[in-house]
Amino acid sequence: MSYIPSALNILVIEDNLGDFILIEDYLNEIQSEVSIKRASNLEEAKTILKSNIQLDTVLLDLSLPDVDDREILVQDIVEFSNKCAVIVLTGYADNDFGVKTLSLGISDYLLKDELTISQLSKSIFYSIERKKSQIQLLESEKKYKSLFNSSPVPMFVLDRHSLEFLSVNDAAIKLYGYSAEEFLSLKVSDLWLNREEPEIEHTVNNNRHGYFEFKISHKKKSGEVIHLEIQSNPISFDGRDARVTLLNDITGRIKAEKLLTDSEQRFKALVQEASDLVMILDFNGNFSHVSPSSELVMGIPADQMLKMNLFDLIHSEDIDQVKKNILKLKNTKRVQIPSYRVKTSSNEWRWIETVLTNLIKDPAVNGLVANSRDITEFVNQEQKLIDSLKRYDIVAKATSDTITDYDVQNDLMQFNHGMELMFGYTPDQICTKGSWWDDKVHPEDAERVKSKVAQVYKNGHGSLQIKYRFRCANGSYKYILDRTYLVTDELGKPLKMIGSMQDITEIQNHIQTIEDHNERLKDIAWTQSHVVRAPLARIMGIIDLLQTDNDIVDQEELLKHILNSATELDGIIRKITNQTEQVTQNFPEC
Amino acid sequence: MLKVLIIDDDSIVLFIQEKMLKKYGITNAPISFQDARKAISFLKTQKSDDIFLILLDINMPGMTGWDFLDEIKGMKISEKVFVFMVTSSIDSYDKEKAKKYKSVISFIEKPISADNCIKIKEHPKLKQFLID
Repeated sequence: MSYIPSALNILVIEDNLGDFILIEDYLNEIQSEVSIKRASNLEEAKTILKSNIQLDTVLLDLSLPDVDDREILVQDIVEFSNKCAVIVLTGYADNDFGVKTLSLGISDYLLKDELTISQLSKSIFYSIERKKSQIQLLESEKKYKSLFNSSPVPMFVLDRHSLEFLSVNDAAIKLYGYSAEEFLSLKVSDLWLNREEPEIEHTVNNNRHGYFEFKISHKKKSGEVIHLEIQSNPISFDGRDARVTLLNDITGRIKAEKLLTDSEQRFKALVQEASDLVMILDFNGNFSHVSPSSELVMGIPADQMLKMNLFDLIHSEDIDQVKKNILKLKNTKRVQIPSYRVKTSSNEWRWIETVLTNLIKDPAVNGLVANSRDITEFVNQEQKLIDSLKRYDIVAKATSDTITDYDVQNDLMQFNHGMELMFGYTPDQICTKGSWWDDKVHPEDAERVKSKVAQVYKNGHGSLQIKYRFRCANGSYKYILDRTYLVTDELGKPLKMIGSMQDITEIQNHIQTIEDHNERLKDIAWTQSHVVRAPLARIMGIIDLLQTDNDIVDQEELLKHILNSATELDGIIRKITNQTEQVTQNFPEC
Repeated sequence: MLKVLIIDDDSIVLFIQEKMLKKYGITNAPISFQDARKAISFLKTQKSDDIFLILLDINMPGMTGWDFLDEIKGMKISEKVFVFMVTSSIDSYDKEKAKKYKSVISFIEKPISADNCIKIKEHPKLKQFLID
């Protein structure tokens, strides 16, 4: 909006008095009320400009006595004249420089030699108006910049072509952790989580001079990932093609959404994909919901099972206890039904175990919730264990051996009836400490038994077979053949020693008898080889002498020696015969 | 000088062995003992520069052949004693036991034969003392 000020305040900076008077005349023509100040050099001009005197326009002559460099002169005056317009007056010779001054911030330039009243008037009013709009624009820009900087919404100003940062606001600095300087050395694509974003690049290229929006993930300086909604508008920034981009941080929202999705999926997995069979039914056994695991547990698809009745599927021997337990739900919230059998689609019986919860009053459920688990494997294992224990019991009872069961960790020893039958101990004499048993081993065998057992413990596996003597209640000893097995945990730590003590006293006695006989037979053999051969060797020696020695004088004596030796030999042979007969008679019948 | 000792409780055996040793030129003056203990006493009186070849019976009443070997083990002249064990029957147990005694050179089964005598004469440890 243009208006003509009622009074003009003009500063004329002109050293030439003639020129000043001419300008003064012109100004007075232009406006009736005009206040004219004159400065004849730069110093005076500065003094006036600093003095807060209200001025509308400065008319500046470029040739001043105290200034050599006209460019500095123009810059100084533009700087000091602050809000008022500066018009430069030049001579012909300075036409080129006059044009240049426009870029230094002056409003207009006029050639002194062609100066007319109308030209001066037009230039003055025009410059005043332009200066006013300029000031308004500056203020508006300042407001805008302050809005940009203090906005809680993170914002960038980017070069429209290179996508380099031109400016960022405080909120963006806070969000990303980069300083303003760091931002200015980056491009927006440096923030992208993925090095390439073909879709984003496409959007940006196709809307280079228009508005666009998209979602993207960025990396903060710390490496943390944030998810953003982007809105971007083209603007002009310091004369450059730019765009201002608003960022909406939706990281929290996306995380919350993901949590919700995860939680839903988990719940779905728990109910639908678990091996447990979940059913909702009424007191009559009619289903209102069956989980898909029915196919896994029962071999019946859920939709088919919905049409069935629970009680029709249960084994006739188990149905009563199941019904009885379900009826308890009239008074209690929850019951556990012990194992019972249900018939699968292949007419097989499976053992299941069910926890029932009464949620009839819950409008979302309106029924009894049954959580069932297939425990067939467990029941079978249990049965096998029971069978095995029974077998062990029977064997322990049936055997004539003494069964020992030693709990290594707790030093607890148990025996079957053999300890009474074989060794004659009464139950009150038998102690369950390992030391009680150790004490009964014959002192001559104890060390050997101890070291063998220690070796088995050390190896952590295996068995031992050992003979020793074990003291009976009456103090006598029995020969025992002990076969013992070590039971360990997975780490090889000894848990139990299970063994059988076999009474081999009788066998041992037989062996002793046989060994005695062997000893006697050895004696006989020795006698035969030494005693029998002694006289024989003598006879052979004498005969040898008789044969080879021609000058033997005492042949008669030698013959006597032969006779004596032969008689001796005869006696010995008779003795051997007697001994052998004795051995045969003493040999017991086995 | 080589001295030959025969130790056996049986006088006939002594007689036979004396005859054989003479006949095969091992010695002209064998020294016989019916009691091993007497042989020990004899050895104790001997000079240490003599060499002794002993035919030793194992089974004797009183001091046995083994006892005799144990006895001479600790004696000064044990290094110069060479023993042939003479027994009615050689068994492996005896052979094994004899390994413990350095003095024992070999075994002879009764009756002592011409071959036995030749082997004694030819024995590398004794040969040098028997050249005459």
